[in-house]
Amino acid sequence: MVGGLDFSVVRENLPYFFLGRYPKGPLGGVALTLYLAVVSLVLSFLGGLILGLLSVSRNRLIKWGSTAVIQTIRGMPLLMVIFWMFFLLPAMLGSGMSADWTIITALTLFTSSYMSEIVRAGILGIPKGQMEAAVSTGLSHKQAMTYVILPQALRNMIPSFVNQFVSMIKDTSLAFIVGVSELTHIATQMNNRTMLYPTEIFLFIAVIYFIMCFAFTELSRWLERRSAWRKSI
Amino acid sequence: MARKIGLLVMALAMVGAMCGAALAGDTLAEVKKKGVLVAGVKDSLPPFGSVDPKTKEFVGYDIDFVKYIAKKLGVKVEYKPVTSANRMPMLMEGRVDILAATMTKTPERAKQIDFSYTYFLTGQKFLTKKGTVHSLKDLQGKKIGTAKGSTSEQNVKKAVPSATVLSFDDYPQGVLALQQGKVIAVTTDESILAGQLGKLQKNPATKGKFEIPDIQISSEPYGLGMRKGDTNLEKFVDATLLEMEKNGEAKKIFERWFGPNTDSPIKRGKFKITADRMGLE
Repeated sequence: MVGGLDFSVVRENLPYFFLGRYPKGPLGGVALTLYLAVVSLVLSFLGGLILGLLSVSRNRLIKWGSTAVIQTIRGMPLLMVIFWMFFLLPAMLGSGMSADWTIITALTLFTSSYMSEIVRAGILGIPKGQMEAAVSTGLSHKQAMTYVILPQALRNMIPSFVNQFVSMIKDTSLAFIVGVSELTHIATQMNNRTMLYPTEIFLFIAVIYFIMCFAFTELSRWLERRSAWRKSI
Repeated sequence: MARKIGLLVMALAMVGAMCGAALAGDTLAEVKKKGVLVAGVKDSLPPFGSVDPKTKEFVGYDIDFVKYIAKKLGVKVEYKPVTSANRMPMLMEGRVDILAATMTKTPERAKQIDFSYTYFLTGQKFLTKKGTVHSLKDLQGKKIGTAKGSTSEQNVKKAVPSATVLSFDDYPQGVLALQQGKVIAVTTDESILAGQLGKLQKNPATKGKFEIPDIQISSEPYGLGMRKGDTNLEKFVDATLLEMEKNGEAKKIFERWFGPNTDSPIKRGKFKITADRMGLE
């Protein structure tokens, strides 16, 4: 008992909070939250990079097309994107896609379109002279982008990336709306079963979310320091 | 551009609709071939369907019915959690074969899916703080909690038009709001309310402070949901339900989850599973 709170409900069901029905059923709880977050993180990093590069393309058709996609997705609440993926994707692809992957797809699409704006800003933030100098040394536009502009731009983007990813880790909790048994859903289940300990249960998962986000921020700060190279501008 | 996107969306939706229509085949034969019956159930609504955190198995009244049907078919069961909002699309898209998810039979729903005979009968009542509500009049102009996408939501709007209906994701959240005084009553089927009341009674802080007054605003027959035109499965399920009534299994399951020593004691009364068309006319 801590100040009238009784955390035994959390203690007794700890394995359920962390693993869900695994190994008797699919993975759930904290493990599923991390899985959703990590997979979507990797995919949306790639997606954001590609979309961002497309949106600064010199080809007008590509530029407008990618901008339209980005603006459409950015103009929708994440919850809507999840519902779209959940109900539309299986209807299009048959029942082959699991609920977990519809969530990953939704998170990836959503986060990618935000990331692409960071990428675009990062690239545009590099002085024009850099590109001109690189091209005048005989590099092609593509080479100049890959070896000169992007390395500088990406470094400037890191803090915004981390910000976006932390927000995505928390966004995985929206998966609970379609019955994917990640941490928030597990907490709701436990609360519905017991009814007596909502404060304890939701306080516990708040702490878990904080630990995950804080650990990720610290990890990226550490990486940032370790891989610090001298800024060229 | 906007027009092109609109066209694309429409095309996608049409493809989706076509795939959905193509799915309604002979589920019974397919289930036998696969050896698995995929059942959409509630995973956080005791005593109908929930996960036991100790054994990590699905348990509940709905679950026991599905189990019996699958056993008779000679196949395994795979449970997929559904919510009140997504259960019908999940069934129609073929992501589950059958729904056992506290679903009330209504003529509107029967236009999109088919129902089995009634396997549970309940009525919509109110859960309130003791002595605050004696008749429907006491609810006028007040805030009442219920769950999104449920029949309870529509019924209460009809029964007490002047009340403000707050729709929560699930009933326990509504009960929490009731405890905090954000709503004057939570309304849904008596069976679900009894489960919530049972839990309130177990807590020393709320014991004896809540009640279910004798005000009933609807009769709610629960049916198992199946895809439209899935005749073979429907015949099999209906025959199995009648058999369960005859051999006493249905009553045994009722006593297990709603008997006098359970957390949500209610009476089965005169209810029996029969070849009924309740709720469909």
